[in-house]
Amino acid sequence: MPLIEIEKLSKHYQVYQKQEGLWASVRGLFHRQYRRVTALDGIDLKVERGEFVAFLGPNGAGKTTTLKILSGVIHPTSGTCRVMDYVPWQRVNAYRRRFALVMGQKNQLWWDLPAQESFRLHQHIYQIPADQFQATRDELVDLLGLGKLLRQPVRELSLGERMKMELTAALLHRPEILFLDEPTIGLDVVAQHNIQQFLKHYQEARRITILLTSHYMKDIEALCQRVVIINEGRIQFDGSLAEIVGQFHQERIVSLRLGNSNGIDDLSQFGRVTRLQPPQVQLRIPRAQVTSSLAEILNRYQVDDVSVSDPPLEEVFAHLFTRGKSDIKETADSGTAAASDSAASDSAASSAGVVRR
Amino acid sequence: MANEKATESDFCKPTSKLGTIQIEPEGIRDLRTGPLVYWRVFRTFVRNSLVRAMGFRANFWLECVSSVCWTVMNLVFFKIVFTYTDSIGRDTGWGENEFFVFLGTTWIITSLIQTFVMPNAQEFSELIRTGQLDFALLKPIDTQFLISFPQMVWSNLANLFLGVFLVIYSVYLLTTNAENPLPFGVGHVVLYVLFLGCGLAILYSVMIAMAATSIWLGRNQTLYTFWFYLTNFYRQPMEIYQQGFWGWALWGLFTFVVPILLVVNVPARILAEPLRPGWDERTWALAGLTVLATCVTMAIARFVFQAALASYRSASS
Amino acid sequence: MSALGSRLNLWWAIFRVSVEERLVYRGDFAFGTLMRFLPMLTQIFLWWAIFDAMAARQGDGTDVNAIRIKGYNLHDMIAYMLLVMLARAFSSMPGLTSGIATSIQKGEIKKFLIQPVDMLGSLLLQRIAHKLVYYLIAIGPFALVFFLCRSFFDAGFPAPDQLLGLVLVLIGSFLLGFAMEACLGLVAFWLLEVSSLAFIFMLLSFFLSGHMFPLDLMPAPLDWIIGLLPFQYLAYFPSAVALGKVTGEELVWGIVVQYLWVIGFWVLCRWLWVRGLTRYGGYGG
Repeated sequence: MPLIEIEKLSKHYQVYQKQEGLWASVRGLFHRQYRRVTALDGIDLKVERGEFVAFLGPNGAGKTTTLKILSGVIHPTSGTCRVMDYVPWQRVNAYRRRFALVMGQKNQLWWDLPAQESFRLHQHIYQIPADQFQATRDELVDLLGLGKLLRQPVRELSLGERMKMELTAALLHRPEILFLDEPTIGLDVVAQHNIQQFLKHYQEARRITILLTSHYMKDIEALCQRVVIINEGRIQFDGSLAEIVGQFHQERIVSLRLGNSNGIDDLSQFGRVTRLQPPQVQLRIPRAQVTSSLAEILNRYQVDDVSVSDPPLEEVFAHLFTRGKSDIKETADSGTAAASDSAASDSAASSAGVVRR
Repeated sequence: MANEKATESDFCKPTSKLGTIQIEPEGIRDLRTGPLVYWRVFRTFVRNSLVRAMGFRANFWLECVSSVCWTVMNLVFFKIVFTYTDSIGRDTGWGENEFFVFLGTTWIITSLIQTFVMPNAQEFSELIRTGQLDFALLKPIDTQFLISFPQMVWSNLANLFLGVFLVIYSVYLLTTNAENPLPFGVGHVVLYVLFLGCGLAILYSVMIAMAATSIWLGRNQTLYTFWFYLTNFYRQPMEIYQQGFWGWALWGLFTFVVPILLVVNVPARILAEPLRPGWDERTWALAGLTVLATCVTMAIARFVFQAALASYRSASS
Repeated sequence: MSALGSRLNLWWAIFRVSVEERLVYRGDFAFGTLMRFLPMLTQIFLWWAIFDAMAARQGDGTDVNAIRIKGYNLHDMIAYMLLVMLARAFSSMPGLTSGIATSIQKGEIKKFLIQPVDMLGSLLLQRIAHKLVYYLIAIGPFALVFFLCRSFFDAGFPAPDQLLGLVLVLIGSFLLGFAMEACLGLVAFWLLEVSSLAFIFMLLSFFLSGHMFPLDLMPAPLDWIIGLLPFQYLAYFPSAVALGKVTGEELVWGIVVQYLWVIGFWVLCRWLWVRGLTRYGGYGG
């Protein structure tokens, strides 16, 4: 039986333009203009224990919504979903003890306190026995190289260090499933790499199941055997990375270093020339013809060096997502109507400060 | 599933402990360790907020000073008032010392609310706005508990000590009064503490229910200011409202609908119980009403909170 | 364009932008202002209970309105509370102290070192704009409340000369409030933690300005000390003038002293600003 089983899962939001202030809100209670936005439009998915799955898609495609439904934060509009035999949005404690969610853009650690105080809180909330808590924490701290930072207030940590702390906090109760929402967002290359290495190592050692969303192809290349592409609330592709490249990209990149530039202009008969800086030449050749064309080139030209590679993943996805881009914008805007701070009204709010106490 | 896991833990050592946790049937763990867990988590909240307060020590003392300042001004005001009158209201029994029991009780309740409840109610709407409520929903512990107590502003507790002192001092003056000493015993203290608890529960419920509405209304500074204006009503003896149509209307509103007038009045009345014929029955009627009101407001707050959570969808999709 | 002309243009621009900024939130404004009168309700009932108890002590049948505390009967007391709200609408400067303090701490004042704009001048202009817009909207709720409570004003509408005095006093209380809070904000040049200081100042001024109750009620040594302080001109003095408690020569002298305080604090402001800037420059910005 699969660990996660999703059938025909849909989520629609009723979005209305929220107004600031009490008056507007009160008016809004009686008179609202709704806009129906589809975040998920009938998704089917099965994930087995021990898999490392990446969700890919443009902003607002439904990746985060899926993770939030799986972790029970929000209810779907329709469809079923079972994770380890639980229905996530029933929020049963027994279920909540067995997974963790980490969000790159939100932090759950106490801002003004050293991270270890937040860890201790987690220990009590998750009822982790003291010896197990200590062992897990020490192991994670060791793996992530956080030793000296435990006593520093979280607000003084760098973004990368904070993310590592978030991961530690999430893994303290040894979840069987880990949901990661953009865990490397905003991090520099080194920190990204560190976190990838850690996740890879941890997942292999513990055989836990990880579902990850990310914008960075590097994350996905480094970590995931399986990729699920979501766009406009629907699954467009589900399979391995190699398959995606095979299925969605019909060209390969052939880079050549030529001994001389004789007949260099004729190269375009083999494919699209994308770079021409003699002696370096790069061209794109349809997948099916790569072997024959290459043989021909080697035959005709004096080639010092040759390499064949797949186009960068970014390009594959950019290509993929531009299909049917027209409606994406609507979906992408749906969630970002975060309320801006209301300006304090003049005397009304602030001189009331005295009265308040 | 258990079998599958067992083989896995053999295969990979570190998960073995994970395996043992799950063998115990779900639910039983919660029953067995429930109250203890909540106590431990609460203790950690206390500890964390203390650590934080000590991180901003200078601020902490300044805040203590300012809240004490406010309280002392309050006292001076009523000290001055009592140079002109000997009672608040005609035949209400709120003479100077009785009233200072009332005032001290107000300080105690207000400081406890400001220390434990208010920061969290404020934070709650912030959690909704920023989508941080997600994290609270993931935790295997009651969500209302988890968001009700994490932040404590300890500097507000300064007034608790002033309040306790004022109450003790005023009760001492009342009981040692030569003409008409106030009857006083352990029973009074027990009842006083009990009804203080009821009062706190009522205010807590009203506040949490109000904060929960920000799920529908969005973050609302005005709503928050409104709360402070509302609290003005519970700080007065309820007798002052008992005159004229509007007075009785206010009294009815804040006794039966939003029962905040019971919060301070009932415990203070029980302790400083002015000797007045016919008052006893009314005190006990109010006490009974308070117990009822506590249960009802807590249930309503719970209901509103659950309804709010049900319609919560996190701020960013 | 003449130097004065360009300066006037600049001032006008600052003023206009500030007005527009404020008008955006007018709905909240009006409602918030109305709610500020809610605590008055409690105050009215509390004072009624106090006066009623005093009447009861004098014997049955004593009229509550015949009872006076230091010259204030129940109606005066309530009228005073309402007038204090009016005075505070002029003299309170929400966000001024903290605004100055943060712009000093964040280094935003650097632009005043470069641009030919005077910071205190432009702040005053912004404040006038904010206040004007505020009055434009708050006049509704204020008029409503004063109309509903008109029966508490035993003396009726103030006479013309008294009204002139009141206008001068209210303008004075606005200027004094601005100068005092600006000074407090400028302390940020020397002290990091100004917000707590500002809060304690606010508490003090709440008490000493007569916001809680008429200062006449203060017992003997206190009333003398408070009379020497500038705080009373923020709330008590304007209300007393409007109630007709201060008239004739006393009123004139009161206005003179008030404006002397204004000048005093304005000079202090300037001095703090200049000293602060040299200190700031000394750090190399």
